[in-house]
Amino acid sequence: MPTALITGIAGQDGSYLAELLLHAGYRIIGTVRGPASASHERIDHLRGSIELTEANLLDQHSIEKMVEKYRPGEIYNFAASHPASSQSFRDPVLTGELNGIAVLRLLEAIRAIDPTIRFCQASSAQIFGNAHESPQNENTPFFPANPYSIAKLFAHWTTVSYRHTHGLFACSSILFNHESPRRPERFVTRKITHAVARIKTGLQKFLRLENLDARRDWGYAADYVRAMWLMLQAPVADDYVLGTGETHSVRDFCRIAFDHVGLDYRQYVTEDTESHQAEASVQLIGDAGKARTMLHWRHSLTFEELVRLMVDCDLASVAQQNTNRIDTLAASRAPT
Amino acid sequence: MITGITGQDGAYLAELLVNKNYIVHGIRRRASLFNTRRIDHLYEDSHQSSAQLFLHHGDMTDTSSLMHIIQKTQPDEIYNLAAQSHVAVSFEEPEYTANSDALGTLRVLEAIRILGMEKHVRFYQASTSELYGLVQEIPQRETTPFYPRSPYAAAKLYAYWITVNYREAYNMFACNGILFNHESPTRGESFVTRKITRGLARIKFGLQNCLYLGNLNSKRDWGHARDFVEAQWRMLQQPSPEDFVIATGEQRSVREFIDAAAREMDMQIRWVGDGVKEMGFDSAGRCIVAIDPRYFRPTEVETLLGDASKARAKLGWTPKTSFAELVSEMVREDLKEAQGEELLRLYRQPAKAGTHAVASAS
Repeated sequence: MPTALITGIAGQDGSYLAELLLHAGYRIIGTVRGPASASHERIDHLRGSIELTEANLLDQHSIEKMVEKYRPGEIYNFAASHPASSQSFRDPVLTGELNGIAVLRLLEAIRAIDPTIRFCQASSAQIFGNAHESPQNENTPFFPANPYSIAKLFAHWTTVSYRHTHGLFACSSILFNHESPRRPERFVTRKITHAVARIKTGLQKFLRLENLDARRDWGYAADYVRAMWLMLQAPVADDYVLGTGETHSVRDFCRIAFDHVGLDYRQYVTEDTESHQAEASVQLIGDAGKARTMLHWRHSLTFEELVRLMVDCDLASVAQQNTNRIDTLAASRAPT
Repeated sequence: MITGITGQDGAYLAELLVNKNYIVHGIRRRASLFNTRRIDHLYEDSHQSSAQLFLHHGDMTDTSSLMHIIQKTQPDEIYNLAAQSHVAVSFEEPEYTANSDALGTLRVLEAIRILGMEKHVRFYQASTSELYGLVQEIPQRETTPFYPRSPYAAAKLYAYWITVNYREAYNMFACNGILFNHESPTRGESFVTRKITRGLARIKFGLQNCLYLGNLNSKRDWGHARDFVEAQWRMLQQPSPEDFVIATGEQRSVREFIDAAAREMDMQIRWVGDGVKEMGFDSAGRCIVAIDPRYFRPTEVETLLGDASKARAKLGWTPKTSFAELVSEMVREDLKEAQGEELLRLYRQPAKAGTHAVASAS
């Protein structure tokens, strides 16, 4: 049975990959931050089928002990401090440690313990930052514009360099935005679908957003982790840009999401024009031609289908919470 | 303030700034051996009122030491020259290299910001032509995309971008000088140019038989460190912060450097064979240069050539020292050193026998 180690397994991508690999018959080891026994909502349904371990990615010894113990055939690195760039500005040194040097430590551990271990690094399209050309592919020069993406760029080049220098099967996947019902609510897509569900059920009246005309290349997270798995099954290690090749505005997203529940977004969404961040001069659009050709990678959902899936899941979860609340309320009022 | 003041560039820059009447604060690491040889000639007792140079113990991996020194000395200009600067060593110590070269730079920038000095401190980052690695165009300019090929280069790439980012995000006066190779008689002995001039000088005095090197075909753009630190200073005197390539625009192979250094010493080298079998013979037919594959880099940077047009136009900077003058100066100093070593050896020889006799008698 092949063994995969997934760092950051409790995140959106880690949890989708865990499901995919379980289905493919892998033994799965996952690292989480904090105690392994704590609840992690995205993977609680997998408990029993996956093994969780606590690893300190700031410590070489801790990483090597883990790799030595589980001897995985494949390592997927999702562990990172959050890409909300405001945090990367607040604690840039820690961001550099977690998103940059930790990757170097993982690669060093592979080199020391078993150089046949295959490694896939989750890079971010943010390393293109203020790119001068659009769309971006594997040959587009990088212009990272915040401490998060600078650390990610360090990790990207370190991955490439360990492949060239030490002959490791190490790949960097440059992921454009990828969403799902498991996206945290601080990301705009999930913020919208969550709000749509709450507005529909009368729990919320308005939704305040920053820039409705900002455009992004949004794909479905489950598709992206499948591409990463394909990368490690390929005959040769390489780097791939993963994106949809199309962009949509936040406004498009709102329209489709509200339409799906029979509402008109214009009656609920207000634009907060003051906190506008300057948009990059060049659009970030992922050209995944290489992944399509080399990995036969395909998207399973269109943009509209993705938005509707997210809204449906949020509707279900709001309904569930309502039921729970009513149950709790009923229980508290019940005569003792 | 200069981080890395004990290094080649730190020492030249300190001298330049002292001559311009700056008060210079230098950060040095504590080491079990003295590491201030390159700046000893500039150093006066700090109790003297004329003292311009002050040294502080600190480390790029120690945030609080950096904060403390910057706060105490309140510098107007900070030159970040400290680094684990040896490419080959970075393959053996990648984490330390990343910690000191990449995060070390960020720690200095953060210290400036946290201390509220970002509006008036000017910051210089010692970036490097190693960023170009697998070169994407020839010659390399400020706009040439990077392709780092070593842990050293990846760490310096991080430092480059974080410097750009602090300039853009906090409006700091922060510049990168992308310096191509720059050498001098005080270049570290493990860097190829110095290894060559020192090795050939020692061979000439019979102190060494053979010089072992890595890739003789690597091509580099070599200038003089004294000229290059002048460019560093000029960058911080500009009206606005920008990044600059600093280079001579001339390129030579390692083999050409050896030939030039040998000629300076009236030696002739005859090359025989190729690849790892290549050998250089002197006129007496002795093999004095040979290849040791251990010195090959795991991933080689074959060619580097810089285009410093922007620095010429905006900084009015041009290199003053020619390649021939650089080689000549390095050879002269290493011959002196080898001669000193030879004299010391001759002087010690009889004494050594005596000491030995005493030792065995006791």
